[in-house]
Amino acid sequence: MEGASLSSGPQEASTYDEISMQQSLIFSDSLQDLKNLRAQLYSAAEHFELSYTNDNHKQTVVDTLKDFAVRALVNTVDHLGSVSYRVNGLLNEKVEEVSETEFRIGCMEQRVRMCQEYMDHEGLGEQSITITAPKYHKRYMLKGNLSNSGGGAKVAKPYQEFDRELDNHDRQIIHAASMKRREKSSSSRRKTHSLSPSPRPQGFYFTESEGPISPFSASRALVRSGSLAHRTTINASPFSSGRRFPLEPQKSASMRFYGDMEEEREVEHNRGRSKRFLRALLSRGRSVKHRQPLST
Amino acid sequence: MARAGGITNAVNVGIAVQADWENREFISNISLNVRRLFEFLIKFEATTKSKLASLNEKLDTLERRLELIEAQPSMRSAIHGSWMLFTRLFK
Repeated sequence: MEGASLSSGPQEASTYDEISMQQSLIFSDSLQDLKNLRAQLYSAAEHFELSYTNDNHKQTVVDTLKDFAVRALVNTVDHLGSVSYRVNGLLNEKVEEVSETEFRIGCMEQRVRMCQEYMDHEGLGEQSITITAPKYHKRYMLKGNLSNSGGGAKVAKPYQEFDRELDNHDRQIIHAASMKRREKSSSSRRKTHSLSPSPRPQGFYFTESEGPISPFSASRALVRSGSLAHRTTINASPFSSGRRFPLEPQKSASMRFYGDMEEEREVEHNRGRSKRFLRALLSRGRSVKHRQPLST
Repeated sequence: MARAGGITNAVNVGIAVQADWENREFISNISLNVRRLFEFLIKFEATTKSKLASLNEKLDTLERRLELIEAQPSMRSAIHGSWMLFTRLFK
């Protein structure tokens, strides 16, 4: 296919060249005829003058002269028409070629300008003193770099963006759940009289399970707290099995998570103590009842 | 006889005058057409000259633009070289 197109290209070019050659030959012939017409007209005028003066049939000479003059005029008009047409076509073709060349030069100029702009940009980049800040993935954050201004600013962004993404309905559900949880925890605190030094942080995503939290899962949650928060928010729906609580955007996630864990442990510890106390009371009451009939 | 000869002479003169008028009409037609031809040639010359002048102007502009494009990389390289020399000297 390519070979055929390549082979047809030179053929077309050759035919184009042949056609243009033929046209230029015809044009030069017509121009030559137009040049020779002057000499022919002068010779014809001399011939008719002589024949009119010498010949007896003057009327026939005049008629022939008239016929010749008309034919010569028509021939001249034809020649001039064809020559002017060809010259006009040639000029138009050249004008088109020039405009095409102008367009190509414009493209070249644009390319050169783009190259220069790129070179200038690169040169500026080379010459200017720039400190490249470390870049971290948006979803991950390092343990020690929370206090770092560069990393902290980069980590804080996804939370803010995420918080903006939350719609009003989700916010209401999350707020109600957090209020419920807060009331529950305060009541349990009142019952157990436990001393909790840290103030209660307002909700991080945390399932309300009764079992103890393994430190491995907590550490993993810390390491990938950003991604965990993101995932939990995506899955947070009123139909999910575990209750989840909202994230407060202004506080750091790891701090909130640690606070929750400690508080949960304290609550569990207090519940265990109260249960043991109640069991001891009940067992004491039963032993007293058993003793009374024996004594009676 | 003389009367008949006078009539034929008058007829011949009339025929000659008519032929002369016909010849004059023919010559005027031919001259008119030749003038028209000249007018056409003058107009054609003017339009062709104007077209050629515009073409020449365009070609001159293109030539200048091409020269500018050719000169730009060498000029930039010269500027870059002088800038590098300047930075080396003042470092």
